[in-house]
Amino acid sequence: MKFIGIVGTNAKKSYNRMLLQYMQKHFESKAEIEILELTDVPMFNESKDQSNSDIIQEFNTKIEAADGVIIATPEHNHSIPAALKSIIEWLSFNLHPLDGKPVMIVGASYNVQGSSRAQLHLRQILDAPGVNANVMPGYEFLLGKVQEAFDEDGNIKSARTVDFLETCFNRFMKFSDIIAQLNLPEDITYQPGTFKVTAVGHNGDLPMSVTLSDDRIESIDIDTSSETKGIADVAFKRVPQQIIDGQTLNVDVVSGASITSNGVIDGVAQAVKMAGADPEILKKRKKSAGPNKQNVIEYQTDVVVVGAGGAGLTAAAKTIQDGKKAIVVEKFPSPGGNTVRAGGPMNAADPAWQNEFPAISGEKHTLKEIMDTDESTIDSEYLEDFRALKGQIAEYLKENDDKKAYLFDSKLLHRIQTYLGGKRTDLKGNTIYGQYDLVKELTDHALESVNWLKDIGVKFDETQVTMPVGALWRRGHKPLGNQGFAYIENLTKYVKEHDGKIITDTAVKQLIIEDGNVKGVIARSSDGKKVIVHAGAVVLASGGFGANTKMLKQYNTYWSDIDDNIKTTNSPAITGDGIRLGQSAGADLVGMGFSQMMPVSDPNTGEIFTGLQVPPQNFVIINQQGKRFVNEYASRDALTQAAIDNGNLFYLLADDEIKKTAYNTSQAQIDKQVENGTLYRADTIEDLAKQLKMDPAVLEDTVKKYNSYVDNGDDPEFHKNAFDLKVKVAPFYATPRKPAIHHTMGGLKIDTDAHVINKDGQIIHGLYAAGEVAGGIHAGNRLGGNSLSDIFTFGRIAADSALKEM
Amino acid sequence: MKIVGIVGTNSVESTNRELLKYMKQYYADTAEIEICEIEDIPVFNEPEDKTAPSAVQTLSDKILQADGIIFATPEYDHSIPAVLKNAIEWLSYTTRPLINKPVMIVGASHGSLGTSRAQSHLRQILEAPELKALVMPNAEFLLGRSLEAFDDDGMLVYPNKVKELDHEFNEFVSFVKLTNKLTVNNEFFDASKQFSWKQVANGEDI
Ligand SMILES: Cc1cc2nc3c(=O)[nH]c(=O)nc-3n(C[C@H](O)[C@H](O)[C@H](O)COP(=O)(O)OP(=O)(O)OC[C@H]3O[C@@H](n4cnc5c(N)ncnc54)[C@H](O)[C@@H]3O)c2cc1C
Ligand SMILES: Cc1cc2nc3c(=O)[nH]c(=O)nc-3n(C[C@H](O)[C@H](O)[C@H](O)COP(=O)(O)O)c2cc1C
Repeated sequence: MKFIGIVGTNAKKSYNRMLLQYMQKHFESKAEIEILELTDVPMFNESKDQSNSDIIQEFNTKIEAADGVIIATPEHNHSIPAALKSIIEWLSFNLHPLDGKPVMIVGASYNVQGSSRAQLHLRQILDAPGVNANVMPGYEFLLGKVQEAFDEDGNIKSARTVDFLETCFNRFMKFSDIIAQLNLPEDITYQPGTFKVTAVGHNGDLPMSVTLSDDRIESIDIDTSSETKGIADVAFKRVPQQIIDGQTLNVDVVSGASITSNGVIDGVAQAVKMAGADPEILKKRKKSAGPNKQNVIEYQTDVVVVGAGGAGLTAAAKTIQDGKKAIVVEKFPSPGGNTVRAGGPMNAADPAWQNEFPAISGEKHTLKEIMDTDESTIDSEYLEDFRALKGQIAEYLKENDDKKAYLFDSKLLHRIQTYLGGKRTDLKGNTIYGQYDLVKELTDHALESVNWLKDIGVKFDETQVTMPVGALWRRGHKPLGNQGFAYIENLTKYVKEHDGKIITDTAVKQLIIEDGNVKGVIARSSDGKKVIVHAGAVVLASGGFGANTKMLKQYNTYWSDIDDNIKTTNSPAITGDGIRLGQSAGADLVGMGFSQMMPVSDPNTGEIFTGLQVPPQNFVIINQQGKRFVNEYASRDALTQAAIDNGNLFYLLADDEIKKTAYNTSQAQIDKQVENGTLYRADTIEDLAKQLKMDPAVLEDTVKKYNSYVDNGDDPEFHKNAFDLKVKVAPFYATPRKPAIHHTMGGLKIDTDAHVINKDGQIIHGLYAAGEVAGGIHAGNRLGGNSLSDIFTFGRIAADSALKEM
Repeated sequence: MKIVGIVGTNSVESTNRELLKYMKQYYADTAEIEICEIEDIPVFNEPEDKTAPSAVQTLSDKILQADGIIFATPEYDHSIPAVLKNAIEWLSYTTRPLINKPVMIVGASHGSLGTSRAQSHLRQILEAPELKALVMPNAEFLLGRSLEAFDDDGMLVYPNKVKELDHEFNEFVSFVKLTNKLTVNNEFFDASKQFSWKQVANGEDI
């Protein structure tokens, strides 16, 4: 027999070592004992897995190969030494060589009682599920008064003690034999064939066919049509895989799909029985050592990206293009974030292309307004550009004075509009506008981003130049196909096809910071595994914090109030994680108080496309009392603040004619929503008012006044800019609306190289940020279509800087 | 009142650390809790000179100056983590600052069972003659399902656990005040300081 002896301490002088050496010599003829020392074993650390180090591997393979293990433990502070505990922890973490191993415990100590307390603790420890050793019961060998126990040759002096040690050792040899037999996989033979069985699934029967050869389970086919898609799919794949890999029915059930998992196991058990074998034997077998057992997974890469939205995937794709390795860690089951939700067009001044299109009415007027802007209102950093722009516009206007003009644009116009559009003052009187160098970087490189995306595979519709909602100018490059999805689809494909890795269902929880350098991330998967990615650089691209009401309220300085129950147009994943991660490395934040709301959102879901969405000339906005309170043409900001001042919830009033101008819905959808109570319909204004719990007289009065304004083409109350239809043809509709959080402009402070900047204005080495997680560009208000330009531009910059500095 | 909270693990991500951070924040009005880490303490190997390495000395000084100590321990293999045991061995072998210190034990675990076995081991360890800490009797705080226990702001989300911890912590505060009043029995204190297992071997049991 061959045993491994472990000296339970790393001390230079140890009686426990002497004891093992004595046993080694004394029992030479009966068994070989190889002594392993703890001297080089590192302190166990969950976050720095060293299971693959030489020393741990030596313990692992030698124990695996041995017939049993003898542990000689001292007692330190009533328990076992930390050094011994440490190796046991290593051997119960990702490796499990002690599983089922026969173990004998011995101990030497100064006092008479010996190491009894330590031995008891050690028994309890070895019994823990991760260790699962077979400790020999009874036969406790405690060598007390150890200073007097050995002679000069290292032999135990007392003959009685030697006798007892022999008894214990003989017993252990027998014990090891018996355990070895128990551990032997019991042979099993099947009557070969394919067996059709039915197990109980979550939603009913699970018909399966199981094919057995004379000694193996060969295949498991399940008719999955009755089970719910999603989580059960995982069970259908994973459980049969584990059964076949390990030739065992001792497999882990898939969390969240335990009934389905057990259904599969029971089905196979039935088939085994039909084939004349005992399924219990398979249930007692060891688990297959599949990847599922591993609770920590580690990776090494060049750049690790937090979040697989537009900015993150761009940073990964750019890294790969430059010949380096990238891993993207994504919290949700699929990539996309807010980017898949986006309307589609991205802003980039591309005069050569735009000039091919004729100008439309109002555009010259917009340019003239810029010309007339008082220079004293322009902040000094922007003044030079502003003047240059005025020059460009003057020339354009001169050239196009009497001709039918073409569509004008320039990087300067884009820059100045981003600046002017973003300038806001908050409730505390602080004025914010886009940081000049960042806005310049964005507007100078946005067009490159469009071209880069084309290289990646995104196709744009070059036949039209669009103005995204809230964009101020027609410079939108609209991808062909499905809005924001077009970007995500192509970027994901590119990353995956070029050996980039996207780890989904895994949220980054922490940065690895060593000596002030960011060196990777630690994440947790939805099934509880820890994922550690070591990298040369970390790019934070986790989006903003639009879905984190607490955080919005904490920082808000712009809105008079943010409702506790406020909804959002954002993905629920957008909770500001990257901002917190950055802060953990000392990052400074900018513009956090400024968020953008979508005033006309569904009060229950935050969605924009429910109810009746009609052109603004036909909107009639009323509050919960049935009164109008705002110019329906006002900007998003003004509509939002007015709504907040009126208790958030308000209604869009429509009649049957106005309904027909809705661009978002169908009669079937309308009927369904009325039925669900998410849209109100009535044959009279009075009845509608009752449904909305308003005073009918008030609502009737509001409608009467509004209709008279339409007739007169003038709204003396709120100065609505344009009118079309009156509210007069039954049935009447009211669509409930509330402002919802749409965008967060504030975030991590970055520089033009996408470095994250700390509170002292210094670069945080190894940390970069791109996209909505970063602040400073859009300031108080983001222009429609500018976010997409931002994420694809700064995503590329982050990757470039990271690679350059690695 | 000054309290030192010792994070019983070197794991970068630890719900026991979160638990201590929560206590620090939540009980800020009652006590100043300083959170101490043990990761940088070297592996204990019974060096002959018996001097504490600087990381041990730093921790030891903080413990000495504190009115009470909170250990937050995970459970690894039915006991306390090696790294926590390691720190304790250094303290017991060199400076022995825990003698007569009021101690509260808390523990967070991912599963639902809490860390009861590790806590009972820790209690036994801290009562060993060369440590002689005053572990608060009849008290344990076990936090199960700890991965979901804290919200984004680090607040404990299980209302019954918030209450339970309030209770335990208040008890501990009283326990600290009480033990600090029972001024240190110097004779006993010195005896503990001098304690050596070699004496025990010579029949001078303690
Ligand atoms: C409904 C809607 C419509 C919009 N329309 C437009 C538009 O037309 N034009 C425009 O320019 N902008 C628009 N925007 C804004 C724009 O879509 C976003 O600002 C932009 O997509 C943000 O990109 P991003 O890459 O920074 O973040 P996102 O695309 O939001 O991606 C962030 C990713 O990080 C992941 N993540 C978060 N935390 C973690 C973590 N801890 N670990 C791992 N992963 C994490 C998220 O799951 C997500 O996948 C719109 C936004 C919304 C909500
Ligand atoms: C830090 C420390 C703590 C100790 N705690 C105990 C103890 O709790 N019980 C005990 O019987 N001996 C204790 N001892 C003494 C050990 O019994 C003695 O050092 C050891 O068992 C002798 O065996 P070894 O030299 O082979 O390790 C302790 C020793 C050290 C260094």
